[in-house]
Amino acid sequence: MPPYDVSSSTSTSVTYSPPLSQPLPHHRLADPSRLDPSRLDPSIYSPPRRPRDSSTSLNALRLQDATNSSLRPPSAHRTRKPRIRSSSRRRKPPVWRKLLWVKQSYPDNYTDAATFLDHLQRNPRLQPYEFWQLVGEATVIVQHVAAVAVFACCFVGIYAERASPVAVVGAGSVGTVVGWVIWDGWVGKEEEAAAAAALREAATKKSVVVDGGGGDAAEDGSSTSSGNGELAGNVADAAPRQSLSHSASATSVNSLANGTSHPTGAPSFPAYSYHPPYGDPVSSISPRNQQRLATAKSAVLIYCALLGLSPILKSLTKSTTSDSIWAMSCWLMCINVFFFDYGGSVGAKFPASLSTNAALMASTVLASRLDSTTSVFSLLLFSIEVFGLFPVFRRHLRHVSWQGHVTLTILLVMAASGGVGVTISGGGWTAAVVGMVLGSILTGLSMGICSWWLIGLQKYKNEIYGPWDPARPVIRRRWD
Amino acid sequence: MPYNIAMISDFFFPQPGGVESHIYQLSTKLIDRGHKVIIVTHAYQGRTGVRYLTNGLKVYHVPFFVVYRETTFPTVFSFFPIFRNIVIREQIEIVHGHASLSSLCHEAILHARTMGLRTVFTDHSLFGFADAASILTNKLLKFTLSDVDHVICVSHTCKENTVLRASLDPLMVSVIPNAVVAENFRPLSLPTTTPSDGLTSPSSTHTPVPAPHHLGPNSTITIVVISRLFYNKGTDLLIAAIPRILASHPKVRFIIAGTGPKAIDLEQMIERNVLQDRVELLGPVRHEEVRDVMVRGHIYLHPSLTEAFGTVIVEAASCGLYVVCTRVGGIPEVLPAHMTTFAKPEEDDLVAATGKAIALLRANKIRTEKFHEQVKLMYSWTDVAERTERVYDGISGVLSEEEFYVGFRSGAGWSATRGRAGVQSFALIDRLKRYYGCGIWAGKLFCLCVIVDYLLFVFLELWAPRASIDIARNWPKKVVLHGSAKHEESGSGVARKRSARHREKRRDVETDNF
Repeated sequence: MPPYDVSSSTSTSVTYSPPLSQPLPHHRLADPSRLDPSRLDPSIYSPPRRPRDSSTSLNALRLQDATNSSLRPPSAHRTRKPRIRSSSRRRKPPVWRKLLWVKQSYPDNYTDAATFLDHLQRNPRLQPYEFWQLVGEATVIVQHVAAVAVFACCFVGIYAERASPVAVVGAGSVGTVVGWVIWDGWVGKEEEAAAAAALREAATKKSVVVDGGGGDAAEDGSSTSSGNGELAGNVADAAPRQSLSHSASATSVNSLANGTSHPTGAPSFPAYSYHPPYGDPVSSISPRNQQRLATAKSAVLIYCALLGLSPILKSLTKSTTSDSIWAMSCWLMCINVFFFDYGGSVGAKFPASLSTNAALMASTVLASRLDSTTSVFSLLLFSIEVFGLFPVFRRHLRHVSWQGHVTLTILLVMAASGGVGVTISGGGWTAAVVGMVLGSILTGLSMGICSWWLIGLQKYKNEIYGPWDPARPVIRRRWD
Repeated sequence: MPYNIAMISDFFFPQPGGVESHIYQLSTKLIDRGHKVIIVTHAYQGRTGVRYLTNGLKVYHVPFFVVYRETTFPTVFSFFPIFRNIVIREQIEIVHGHASLSSLCHEAILHARTMGLRTVFTDHSLFGFADAASILTNKLLKFTLSDVDHVICVSHTCKENTVLRASLDPLMVSVIPNAVVAENFRPLSLPTTTPSDGLTSPSSTHTPVPAPHHLGPNSTITIVVISRLFYNKGTDLLIAAIPRILASHPKVRFIIAGTGPKAIDLEQMIERNVLQDRVELLGPVRHEEVRDVMVRGHIYLHPSLTEAFGTVIVEAASCGLYVVCTRVGGIPEVLPAHMTTFAKPEEDDLVAATGKAIALLRANKIRTEKFHEQVKLMYSWTDVAERTERVYDGISGVLSEEEFYVGFRSGAGWSATRGRAGVQSFALIDRLKRYYGCGIWAGKLFCLCVIVDYLLFVFLELWAPRASIDIARNWPKKVVLHGSAKHEESGSGVARKRSARHREKRRDVETDNF
């Protein structure tokens, strides 16, 4: 009585493991090509062909076959396979088919090696990572961790009264203002580009409308240009030059659009679509300046609110021991690092709220450990700058210039590692330099090792797709 | 050889559904074949204790805490005392669990192996591998199925899925499809309780093939959809396709039965497109009424996104409806090509396939009136019971290993986990070996569970010895099967039967306090 190998059925693999005599390496087990009949011992899955050995079973099967053939659905039987049934039954068993409605002469637990799991797909959407690409992406995380480290060092400096709180917040504020000016410039450029694109689109739309409307519209529409064909090109060329005043370009294009569309009866509102969402069109200040004003207003508001709150926050955790505060702020900073929106694009104004809130809460409880109102105010303002505004700038910088991004990363790593060196050793430029060198080496190494590790882990990726997965319905979108 | 079988699942009547009717039909047919079958399920609202169904099918409703959609809370060990009591009382030899989401079934399989019983598991559904819920379910399934004697799946796709999910040897997985009670799904032209439409006048029950009824080019074609209106039943596809089908085919009507979370979307679509007179919403229908709805139509549309077997399309074909369905899961295996038109799960393809089906019907190219007889020959519960019986024979050693595991390799790799021929060993150490392979952490955890289960079993043997548990009387059989000792109690009178049942109920209540 040949024993039956079950050990493979409980092997450690998540995947299908066939009754092979020696176990294969884990990730090769689920390879569908392994089920290829040519690679298998044919006696594993093939139907019985040994009349001497198992005559009883074959008889039983024949009996079953005879009863089944009378049960066969008449029409299907006639259309499908009359030849195989009538002539070649003695020589060759009928082909097994993956159907339930046919009564087949195979046992129920028969496994057809040719078709079993042939629709299995493994890792169909696998994108292999590349080393330098991964290292480049890792800079985002390094930047954030470095920013957190810088903040922590600043706190320790203020707490140990080694650094002046005003100097810290002064440096932070200067950096923030410079960053904001740069950022504002980028946003301005982008809006111009977007406006130009919108203008171009609107102009092509208009020209289509005008072409459909008739020739007389051309004269009305040619207040700025002579022909419909040139209109689009003119507008597109003019848009970059109109960078000084937004409202000016807006009004001119509005009139232009009105001029082209009214004669044909087409509505003119598409031309407004490039309008920035903020801003009052009747105001004398341009929308960009209005936005700047709003920013300044909110900055002043936050400044005043912090100023007013600082004395209250100073005594917020008087009744709590410092140990709890350190532990709590550690956890909150961890939450901040782990839940930070690293993949966020430029459009996301503020990073994930849980992350930011955790960081601000951490800085609040940390600030409440400080003993002067100025320190509390400085640390809070600094934390808002580091955790609220700095990510926006970093994100935009990465979008705008990769070199700037790398430079900022290096600077941040240097600052953070130098700060950590000073904080640990207790002062001195040598400590800072040693910290910088060590920290930079350590950061670089860990970036490389983590990337390499992630690439190495990819071979364990084992996604399985097959006909059992719920289908994704394809539904056409209609805009009615 | 008659067996004493316990069917165990969380899902049973009074809750309606596919698994429930599968268990009931299979049990009934197995009883007809001379076996003794009991069903163990959890207590439903207003239904606890022991019940008898038609044919002497005994149902134990064990009180359990229900968590979600009639699934009991998975406490690994708490079911053991009452399960052991039932098994000893009913002299169970084979424990047959159903449905992979039923924790009662998984627990029962574990305890049954601890008690040294043969176990079979029937999988009725398909699972993916991607989301967290599936990963957890698959791990638990692997736990239970590490030590099971045989697994039954309802379709070949389901078998592939189960083999992958639980890392099973494909030879210990049988494919036995669902079936339909063809008598309950007769087309309108056959003699039924409802009046015939006059095309054929039924005089005897044996009308071989009814005369084909022709559809004129202007006669209305009715498309029937009966499904729960859930996302995975493809209701979104249906909602997108209906207006387009109706726009391109003026003489077409829809009848939609069933309810669910997508019913609102469906109603909105009807109102937005002003199709109230062409789409009839029936709301929920009982399973007995499904036939009466189906025979009102010509085409059955089944836009499901995943389906292990799709009993409803067999029911529709049995009612003489042409079937349009999506090519997903096990559906392509179920019906022959002349009864179905397949579509990809895409809106455009579904519309095209329905158009094709309408054109075929209008051309009178499809002999739908023959479908009923054909389906009757394809699927029957008697056949399912026979095939299930072969599985029971195989796992209890009546069939030799060679006979049961046809074509398995001879003379290679003796394994310690296999004891007697064709039978998995019950020794604890062998069972632990099988569980240990489930994973680095999971394997150890599962071994711990098995050891605790075994200790619990030893404790129960001491605390509530077998000798003190009464053996339940069997339901009297009409035909005594060749002198089998278990089935000799056919002479008991009604009064005695009633009192015996009464006693059992009381005893059940007592054991509930366990």
